[in-house]
Amino acid sequence: MAATVSLRKGEPPGRNSSRLWRDIVRHKSIYLLASVSIIYFAIFKYVPIWNSQIAFRDFQALKGVTGSPWIGLKNFSDFVHSYYFGELIRNTVMYSVGKMIISIPSAIFLAVALYECRANFLRKTVQTLAYLPHFLSWVIMYGILMALLSPSSGLLNDIIKLFGGEPISFLTDTKSFPWIVLLSDAWKESGWSAIIFVAALMGIDPSLFEAAMVEGANAWQRVRYITLPSIKPVIVMVFLLRLGTILDAGFNQIFMLYSLPVYSVADIIDTWIYRQGLLEFRFGLATAVGLFKGVIGFVLLFVSNKLVRKFSDTGLY
Amino acid sequence: MASVIRLTKSDRMFNAFVVISLLIIFIILFVPIWSTITLSFRPNDFIGTALDGMVLPPWKWSLAAYKSLLGNNSFVKATANSFRIFFEGIATALILTTPLAYALSIKTLPGRKLLYVFIIIPYLFDVGLVPNYLLVTRLGLTNKLAAVYLPGAISVYNTLIMKSFFEGIPEELKESARIDGASEFKVLMRIILPLSKPIMLTIGLYYGVRFWNDFFNAMLYLNDSNLQPLPILLRNILLSSGMNEYVEASAFGEAPIEAIKAASVLLAAIPMLVAYPFIQKYFVKGTMLGSIKG
Repeated sequence: MAATVSLRKGEPPGRNSSRLWRDIVRHKSIYLLASVSIIYFAIFKYVPIWNSQIAFRDFQALKGVTGSPWIGLKNFSDFVHSYYFGELIRNTVMYSVGKMIISIPSAIFLAVALYECRANFLRKTVQTLAYLPHFLSWVIMYGILMALLSPSSGLLNDIIKLFGGEPISFLTDTKSFPWIVLLSDAWKESGWSAIIFVAALMGIDPSLFEAAMVEGANAWQRVRYITLPSIKPVIVMVFLLRLGTILDAGFNQIFMLYSLPVYSVADIIDTWIYRQGLLEFRFGLATAVGLFKGVIGFVLLFVSNKLVRKFSDTGLY
Repeated sequence: MASVIRLTKSDRMFNAFVVISLLIIFIILFVPIWSTITLSFRPNDFIGTALDGMVLPPWKWSLAAYKSLLGNNSFVKATANSFRIFFEGIATALILTTPLAYALSIKTLPGRKLLYVFIIIPYLFDVGLVPNYLLVTRLGLTNKLAAVYLPGAISVYNTLIMKSFFEGIPEELKESARIDGASEFKVLMRIILPLSKPIMLTIGLYYGVRFWNDFFNAMLYLNDSNLQPLPILLRNILLSSGMNEYVEASAFGEAPIEAIKAASVLLAAIPMLVAYPFIQKYFVKGTMLGSIKG
């Protein structure tokens, strides 16, 4: 509202406010219409922010959010000094960076392959099949993974046995677990991540390719010198946006796949928050960790969006 | 394009490379799905490896796993709960998202900037699980299906996609209606919404997919086993190793437990597979709007 007022700085203040008032009255049905959504938003998004003050309190359920005693930064220092702090940060960053390194290049590869494919049937089939897993939940994914990885009857272990090897319990082995997480994520999400690159490829000016062909460039050179450079801004944008969510390592996936034997390599910030908060009822501690993650996430998202705007004139918001 | 396209040797190699790459990608994508499908049809008297199972001819397939699931009371109940969450969730989400997106799309609305900041802050600043848990339990949503969809009934991302769509509707259409004396509410109902069917369908399905797939909210807030949706039941079935009711049910159904698990996975995925072609038609547009225009 301030912006609307200041736009008309030159006018006398009386007329100014009356025009603003007229503008508001003219849109009254819009405000009325949106009011339910705004109230919803205030309750479901802002009350949790208010509730997060228990990060600084010794939360006791009976005393409620505002009745529990203040304890300053104790919850935060408990977390930072805990044995798990390093492990959680390491695992979280390992998974989100690992997923980025695997799934963005494979999404680019898939997008370029789809774009260059002249066989319509093959292209459409792969495209449909590649986007599909994004719509399956991690519960369903777990079921599919069991059909592949189960030590007793999984496909992969049957192949291992066929070659005379010992079956591997992939999901309870600390060596294989991280790979299962990274590769199953790539299987599920690469196709979906490729959409934005496919769309960017569609926007390339065809005359560039014609010119290159006249100049005698072969297909490999066209990909190297035209296709990839043309979508470079989008690639940079996707990388930057992913950096903004680096502390989100994929709660639903890890939560479905992990178990006690692999906690040391599987536990991420979000799974730890869940166990501390809702299983051990250490609400204050869990909230402090959530807030810690939220603040860092806020800064990262903000910075990455600023960078995206700077590099490519676009942003998420 | 040149009238005569002559493919050089390196161009042909390139084309072959593309086709072979896509064939390999196809196999990587297809094998896990195919092995789940064939596993679900595996008969009780099957002997052999998973590889043998994948090439078992269809006339030897058994429907026992599906029969025992569809005849199972808790499975039917969970499916009904999931459909209720799906439809109630979509309706609630669209009713809450549309007015907000519409208000944000009106450039002349006083306070529009403020409203924008109001919805962006929680989007950027996620305070995490416990503060939300305290709110939902405090609101008395425990053991209500709404606990699954109400906390996520306005997604900022979806709101912004819808806003971009509304902004794309020509201003003249709205103006002419206003000159005819239509109120802003009428403009929305008579002009905007009829033009917005595709975006409503897309956004509705985006929400629907999320609500259908949710197991975490359901796990946190629905303790009553009569209210459990499909993902929770599915999770119980998948994690069961031999001692609970699902295994007993399978004994009656004469299907191996692996087949029951695989069949339940596929049954839970079917609605998404049905909705998928509708979403696919629009989601490229939607994704582009959300990420490029903003």
